[in-house]
Amino acid sequence: MSPNGPVKKTAASNIYTVILAIAFGLLLATVIFVACKCYFQYGTLFKIP
Amino acid sequence: MSNLTKVFIVLLTITSIFLCAIVVTYVANADNYKTRYSRIISERDALEQSKESLTSQLNEKNQQKDDLEKSLTGRIASEKAKADELRGKLGELERQNADLVQRTNDFAAVTKAFSETADKQTQTLNAALEEVKQLKAEQIKMGRELEEKSQALMEKTAIIETLETDKRRLTEEKADIQTRLDRLLGAGRGVAAAGLPVTPERGPAIAIPPVDRQVPLKGLVSEVDVRNAMATVSIGSADGVMKGTKFHITRGDEYICELSITDVDTDRAVGVLDLIQQQPRAGDNAVTEL
Repeated sequence: MSPNGPVKKTAASNIYTVILAIAFGLLLATVIFVACKCYFQYGTLFKIP
Repeated sequence: MSNLTKVFIVLLTITSIFLCAIVVTYVANADNYKTRYSRIISERDALEQSKESLTSQLNEKNQQKDDLEKSLTGRIASEKAKADELRGKLGELERQNADLVQRTNDFAAVTKAFSETADKQTQTLNAALEEVKQLKAEQIKMGRELEEKSQALMEKTAIIETLETDKRRLTEEKADIQTRLDRLLGAGRGVAAAGLPVTPERGPAIAIPPVDRQVPLKGLVSEVDVRNAMATVSIGSADGVMKGTKFHITRGDEYICELSITDVDTDRAVGVLDLIQQQPRAGDNAVTEL
């Protein structure tokens, strides 16, 4: 309980969630692209050929 | 959601987009190092094989070079020996050449002197031949004069013989007349018979006609001038040819023409062609009597 009364709870703005989702998706796509590129070119993801 | 959180979300998103773009761009444009590595390895293996083959070839070539060097060294030594020998021969030949040049110069000088002597002798011979020609002409002229004088002498001898015969006959007639006169003057003697002179009476001396000493002349046609209808024969005044002598030009049994001599030299004569039956040419016979 705050001195100014009860805190008015509002729903979070979905726009920022969408932005975060887009950033995450973009990051995920980048990782997949890099992984595929490494796998098809070098045959492995983490080892040094 | 606080403003700070919002700002943080936006910045995080922008940064994520930026970094993802960088990563994607880099990865998309990155070289395939495995392929490059494999290619480089294969190239290295090929180069090593090439190096080994080249090394073996080099060794082989070195071996061949050594062999060739040895053989060439031997040949060089032998060629040097031959060169020394040839130098010796060359020196000897140069000395012989110098001797031959000296001898050639000597021979040239001797030949030059001999040529000069031969020229002088040729000139002397030509002068002598000219003198001989003149002497022949003079001899022919003197022979004619001798013939004429001999003929005149024979005429005068005949006249003298005639005169002596007349003188002898007159002496005998005188003796006969004297005898008859003595008989007429003597008494009681008969008239003596008239005697006849022993020497027969001859007529007056008659000049002997000049003997025709013209012997047949025979020569050859040496030149023919068709344009001027003239020809040259190979005999001249030395053989008795005179101006006006007529030659009959024949070729075998054929009568060609007639040649009247107009100019006479000692060894040739030139005349005008006449009565041309065929064209005369050098080598035809020229005779004064057929």
